Amino acid sequence: MSLLYLLARWLDRISPAPIAYAHCDIPCGIYDPHHAQLAAHTVVRMVDLINQLEKPGTGATPEQRQEYTNKLARYVATKEQHSEIAKNELRILWADYFKPEHLKTFPELHDLVWKALKTGSKARQEINLQAAEDLLKATNDIASIFWKTKGFETITAKAPYPTERLTIYPKFK
Amino acid sequence: MFPLRRFRVEDDSMRPELATGDYVLVNRWAYRFRPPAKGDIVVVRDPETPDRFLVKRISDVPDAGQIRLAGDNANRSRDSRTFGPIDLREIVGKVWIRLR
Repeated sequence: MSLLYLLARWLDRISPAPIAYAHCDIPCGIYDPHHAQLAAHTVVRMVDLINQLEKPGTGATPEQRQEYTNKLARYVATKEQHSEIAKNELRILWADYFKPEHLKTFPELHDLVWKALKTGSKARQEINLQAAEDLLKATNDIASIFWKTKGFETITAKAPYPTERLTIYPKFK
Repeated sequence: MFPLRRFRVEDDSMRPELATGDYVLVNRWAYRFRPPAKGDIVVVRDPETPDRFLVKRISDVPDAGQIRLAGDNANRSRDSRTFGPIDLREIVGKVWIRLR
């Protein structure tokens, strides 16, 4: 480490040097927050389905119990998978897409992603509609930042899925 | 206008010459007296994202008004192979020294 390097680094404290990118497109380039949003919708849908499922009463036949258990197991398995997909997609955006320059414009980003991941875990562990809704909201908030960094405005619209929750979409020109 | 400007390097397309975290001092007057030459390392405004800068090597000077750029680390570089030749006016300056 040269003396001039240390001087340049010290100058950064007074006035940060602009960044010159020796930019590469491999492995970077293709990112979209939609995967995370879609997975969060699935989690919401699974919680809805679980809550709508009629629990077998004391007089239920073994067949009815079996059918209930089968359905519940399938919904829970899907909820597990998709909360993990949502978390993974957010991690990819966070680690690979977002850059320090984005963080300057959106200083709340780190906290937002961190809380989204925690909420994703909660939605995975519990049958908790609020956690699922919170996860969806977090993916929307992150999507909104993502599209702003890409220079697109966003719209909030009801998703065309059974969940019908509000969702952030980019307004492509 | 002060001739020297400092930039911090990010990403890998100019390895091993330049690596993430290096600083470069750029001479903004370098091309006042002589034209850009093949092999020079320059900082330019990114033709695809106007408010950011790229650091690349000049791979060709097809005519007096334009240059082509390439990253040294060719399989990890977005350069004139993607965005074509760029205008001389987009050059900020020539890399004078690297600080590591």
